[in-house]
Amino acid sequence: MKIDPSMLKPSAIANSNTIKSTKSFILKYQVYFLIGSLLILSILPLFTNRSYILGVFCRIFLYSILAGALNTINGYSGQFCLGIAGFFCVGAYSEAILSTAAKMNFWIILPIAGIITALVGLLVALPTLKMQGIYLAIVTLGFSEIARLLALNWTSLTGGPMGIKGIPVPEIFGFALKTSRHFYYLYLVLAVIFLFVTSRVIRSRIGRAWMSIREDQLASKSLGVFTSRYKAINFMYGAFWAGIAGAMYAPYVRFIDSTYFTLDEGWNILSMVIIGGQGTLIGPIVGSVIVNYLTELLRPIGQWRMVAYALLIIVMMWWRPQGLAGASNSIVAVKGETRMRHRKVSRKEAQA
Amino acid sequence: MKEGSYANMWDTPPSYSLYETGEAGRMDYFLNQLINGICQGAIYALMAIGYSVVVGVVGMVTFTHGEVIMIGAFAAYYMFFLSGNQIILGLIVSFAASWVLGYFVYKVCYERFFNAPRHVSLLTTIGFSMLIKNLSQIIFGPNQKPMLDVVEANFFRIGAVQISELQIVIIITVIIMATLLSLIFNKTKFGIRLKAVSQDKTASYMVGINVKRVAMLGNCLGCGLGGIAGLLLAVYYQTIQATMGGPLGMKAFASSVLGGLTDVRFSALGGLCIGIIENLGITVTTASFRDMFAFGFLILVLIIRPQGFVSKKGAKV
Amino acid sequence: MKKTILLLIVVSLVAPMLFAAGQSEAADTNVIKLGVLAPLTGTNAEYGKGFEVGMQMAVDKINAAGGANGKTLELVVRDSKGDQKESSDLARQFADDMSIYAILGDFTSGCSMANAPIVDAAGLVQLSPTASNPNYAGMSPYTFSIMGRQDSEAPFFARYIIQKYLGLNKVGVIYINSDWGASSYSNFKAEADRIGLNIVSAVNYVQDEKDFSSLITKLRAANPEVVLILDQGAVPQIINQIRGTGWNVQLATLGPGTSEQLINLTGKNAEGLVLSTPFFFDEADADLMAWRKEFVSKAGFEPTIHPVCAYDTVYLIKAAIEASGSGEITRQTIRDNLAKVSITGVSGPLKFNEPGDLTREYMICAVENGKYVVKEGFDYAKQ
Repeated sequence: MKIDPSMLKPSAIANSNTIKSTKSFILKYQVYFLIGSLLILSILPLFTNRSYILGVFCRIFLYSILAGALNTINGYSGQFCLGIAGFFCVGAYSEAILSTAAKMNFWIILPIAGIITALVGLLVALPTLKMQGIYLAIVTLGFSEIARLLALNWTSLTGGPMGIKGIPVPEIFGFALKTSRHFYYLYLVLAVIFLFVTSRVIRSRIGRAWMSIREDQLASKSLGVFTSRYKAINFMYGAFWAGIAGAMYAPYVRFIDSTYFTLDEGWNILSMVIIGGQGTLIGPIVGSVIVNYLTELLRPIGQWRMVAYALLIIVMMWWRPQGLAGASNSIVAVKGETRMRHRKVSRKEAQA
Repeated sequence: MKEGSYANMWDTPPSYSLYETGEAGRMDYFLNQLINGICQGAIYALMAIGYSVVVGVVGMVTFTHGEVIMIGAFAAYYMFFLSGNQIILGLIVSFAASWVLGYFVYKVCYERFFNAPRHVSLLTTIGFSMLIKNLSQIIFGPNQKPMLDVVEANFFRIGAVQISELQIVIIITVIIMATLLSLIFNKTKFGIRLKAVSQDKTASYMVGINVKRVAMLGNCLGCGLGGIAGLLLAVYYQTIQATMGGPLGMKAFASSVLGGLTDVRFSALGGLCIGIIENLGITVTTASFRDMFAFGFLILVLIIRPQGFVSKKGAKV
Repeated sequence: MKKTILLLIVVSLVAPMLFAAGQSEAADTNVIKLGVLAPLTGTNAEYGKGFEVGMQMAVDKINAAGGANGKTLELVVRDSKGDQKESSDLARQFADDMSIYAILGDFTSGCSMANAPIVDAAGLVQLSPTASNPNYAGMSPYTFSIMGRQDSEAPFFARYIIQKYLGLNKVGVIYINSDWGASSYSNFKAEADRIGLNIVSAVNYVQDEKDFSSLITKLRAANPEVVLILDQGAVPQIINQIRGTGWNVQLATLGPGTSEQLINLTGKNAEGLVLSTPFFFDEADADLMAWRKEFVSKAGFEPTIHPVCAYDTVYLIKAAIEASGSGEITRQTIRDNLAKVSITGVSGPLKFNEPGDLTREYMICAVENGKYVVKEGFDYAKQ
């Protein structure tokens, strides 16, 4: 889950100078690095049986996927989605309903929940293709609230305020995944799959189209990119993974109700993406690690904890607005002329 | 707030039948709901006006407006507590308190980020609003506070349609504020500068306007209006709490977007629309669906008109 | 910069290991630690604070009187923020820490139910003062709640308070659309249908609702003789707004109990309000008054039913510890004894039923001249 070199390659535009030197360092030993970090993470549960720590790791993996999904929308194609909690909600409820009412197998539900959420994502994306910036943001925000209120009010389907309890745990060949350690591995595997798939997608034609839309929609349109289509695909892709995250989450807690998916949840995920940095694969992971750990580490100060967390966000934005590992010469990091200067510099470097 | 005498004021036999049955009764009922909607919409409108002034001059959206409103409400609470329900004093104090908070919001969330991408200042405003909310929970205490009997409970009735004095006070205050604001915008030099800055910062800079200063003052003005909205909300709902800001900020945001974000008049209209739609929606269903009506209506409008009621040239948000 | 980033990542990955290493200190056998999950920040901070203060008061009192079975109680308070994920992680932390003998909390049913599988696996009691979802206590043998089941209070309200005591028939109901509100309402409705009470209108709202004017207009159009409010937090606002529209209908409420906050927040608007309550701050009872005074001085606000229940949970655990006599105290003995003990707490007699929650007895109270008055002779709860 640490720095995976393949994540850092997506395109010349998306890589910052800061990351570049790190990248060259890591690239040299990329195989070792990848294997090493995966190895550490996969043997970690053998050293500790503290379910608390494994639980925190599960949370980090979960949020890495959620923040990563949001990053594909906000960071890679430059759209402005505030409603990731809504997609999370749809995915979790899909899993919960299908596994309790239809008694389906978790492994079948997992992709189905993702696809359902992707379709919902398409539903959100279609009418909003013409919208930009803050108008798109408020629509996604509204969608998030509507999804939550639907979950609360549609009693016959979602159990309404009573929620859905007794969600069965997943099984592999008759072996039930019950403890935090089991879920640790499940989440780890899914997070790695997410990163791998996303890194491939980002480097594909689709990913390049997304980034061209992010940098200049008009220019990319004039170069023959079907911006609407790619924007819709982008939303569906992000929603798909948020739905997968939701479907992973429901059997983990075994009980869900609508109070899990408030706007605060959305802010939480958004803050991870922005603190970690947009437009890189590593960014949301860094954000997820930092936010989840810091809120745990700050626990001793009691009610001042959220004050400290808020201060952290502000300080972080003052100190490093592009995020800790963001794509710092992209439009998501710098605006207008500053960016042009950055680009010129990087072009010169490229020629040199 | 006042120590009321506990005379048995509800001793009089209750009169139950307010409404006639049949068509006429339904009409009265509908009108009453409309009045509720207008009153709520008026408060939303004031929040939205403040919001769109902020967004207009600063050029960035904010999520601190809910907390600005909350601070206004608390300032009014303490002022009423000290002065014994002097409405005018309360208005001044809540305006001033929110103005001051607005200054800090500007310094922390906007000043350094004029050249940064939008999401940076947006996340900073989210962080700042968390800061204010949690600090006020610690300072003011987490529990609800009462705000009783600031305005006498008198009613005016036309048939079964009734409107309370409080509702009239609220609507009138909102109208006065909106008029004052439009006077400022159209008749004063400061207002014209504000308008210029909200339309084009570079051009304003070139004709010699101190853009940052004007943006700061405009932001404070918008926040001050939010503070007054907070006072009205507190008086109308009769209780205040440190966590009250969040949903209100969302409503201000939604109303303002509906009106096209930077246009003050249309934002007011947006707030009014959302207030009325919500209340009429509740008439048909129940209040659990309130936000679904608000956001559903907003999304519908945005699908038809992707930039709200009005798309103003020049203002880029 | 790259070094900073790498350093941060490394530090944050290493930090938990240190955490893990640092926590395995030997448990003091004379101290019994109780984990407390409470929302000290966020929307429900008001209740979390009440939890903390109420429970600490109980612990101080018990320890001053020699502890439970000679052992000192100690609270380990953690902020769950009302967020299920954090609450679950904390529950796991408590489960790992063998010096923790029981968990008190969490405030919301959502959090408590998310923790149920964790405490079930760990064999650790989770005793919630407030979890009100009727499904919660049955989720595991280790989950308990003392909120009181709504299948007793709501029918009691319909049958005895509205039909017999008030003698009214047409009811308008306004309830919060939460697990508690919805189950209260469905229980109320079932009983109302059975005894022929006429619910002329029922409206609901979600948490954080502030404007009830349109709901009130809606209720008013249905001409009820009594308006029943099913909620805890928003009751004062609803009462104020009903009176604010000049509607002098009879009001009744199920949920907040006899909280002084309600009177403070509504002033003379609460006059004539009828409510059911499992307990009552009797002004003649010096102990109770002292309790209330102490709570106000520590918390800075008047107690509602929640801190009272929180206070009682500590005494329940104490009773469970004492019930094990001279035997060894483990998580399991606490669970087994907790299911058996029966005490009279501040909030009334407490004895768990099979799933792990309890059926309370209720009194009828009315607000007269700004004070709660028990309506003697109408104590039908004991039947």
